[in-house]
Amino acid sequence: MAGPLTLGLILGLASLTFVMKAAGPLLPNIPAAITARTAGLAPALLAALVAIELTGPNGVIHLDVKVPAVIVASALAARRVPFIVCVIAGALVAALLRAAFHL
Amino acid sequence: MPAARSTREILQATAPIALAVFVFGVSFGVLAVAAHLPGWAAVLMSLLVFAGSAQFAALGVITAGGSVLTAIFAGALLNLRFIATGIAVARSLPGGRVKRALLAQIVTDENYALAVAAGEPGRPDRQTLLVAGATLYGVWVLGTLIGAALGPVLGDPKRLGLDAAFPALFVALLWRMLSGRHAVRCALGGAAVALVLAPFTPPGVPLAGAAIVGLWLAR
Repeated sequence: MAGPLTLGLILGLASLTFVMKAAGPLLPNIPAAITARTAGLAPALLAALVAIELTGPNGVIHLDVKVPAVIVASALAARRVPFIVCVIAGALVAALLRAAFHL
Repeated sequence: MPAARSTREILQATAPIALAVFVFGVSFGVLAVAAHLPGWAAVLMSLLVFAGSAQFAALGVITAGGSVLTAIFAGALLNLRFIATGIAVARSLPGGRVKRALLAQIVTDENYALAVAAGEPGRPDRQTLLVAGATLYGVWVLGTLIGAALGPVLGDPKRLGLDAAFPALFVALLWRMLSGRHAVRCALGGAAVALVLAPFTPPGVPLAGAAIVGLWLAR
């Protein structure tokens, strides 16, 4: 990625994050109804990110090694395994399946 | 009222989390370099953003071929929850509004959780927030630095399954947030909308759709 784009990504995300982290102390009277709704954003986005990661270039679910990797990571996470272990297990499943089937 | 905690006690409570955050930082550095981000950019991002899930989300979008704007959008939306944590910790932080707003920058999910556990109801413990926050910030940046240096040595990221690390991470983060019916509903709705939109729309749109559904289903 080109330098200016990279810098744009970093500064854009950093400044928005700064504003959001500062908002609470600066504006303590934000209505609870609004903050309660933002609680729905993270689960919806993370689930959407998982779904998008599993789609191919045409936007349709693509059955490759990422699917079993996510199933294994998900099963581990459901058992409250620390999440770094889930991530490593997911990567390992993908790497092993690729090596075994020359994908 | 719990007695004030010593720095040593706080560091002991923080240690296992710090180790996890460190390893996480290393993986961020490795994946960032694998996504063709220069090493300095990975470190700068950890220095300035300090929000793991948002950084990974932005990187995930870039790796999948999305635009910079989409990546910023995905990361920023994930960080909206910090408005809520910011309000929750505002009374615990010292100083006036500006100083509190600056100190709130080191608040993350992990030190927030530690501070809530150590504090009184409705008042997260100040020392824990600050000491654990500073520790986690240090190991996050250090981890990223080491990961970015290590990345080029590791070779083809696909052979190591690193591309699968993103969805694995997102699904693991998601499980942590699935407390309560509303969260499950938001997650299912978000995934469904994203999958419906993905074949017909450019990369940012499915995420925007999921965000709207998440806000809508939150109550």
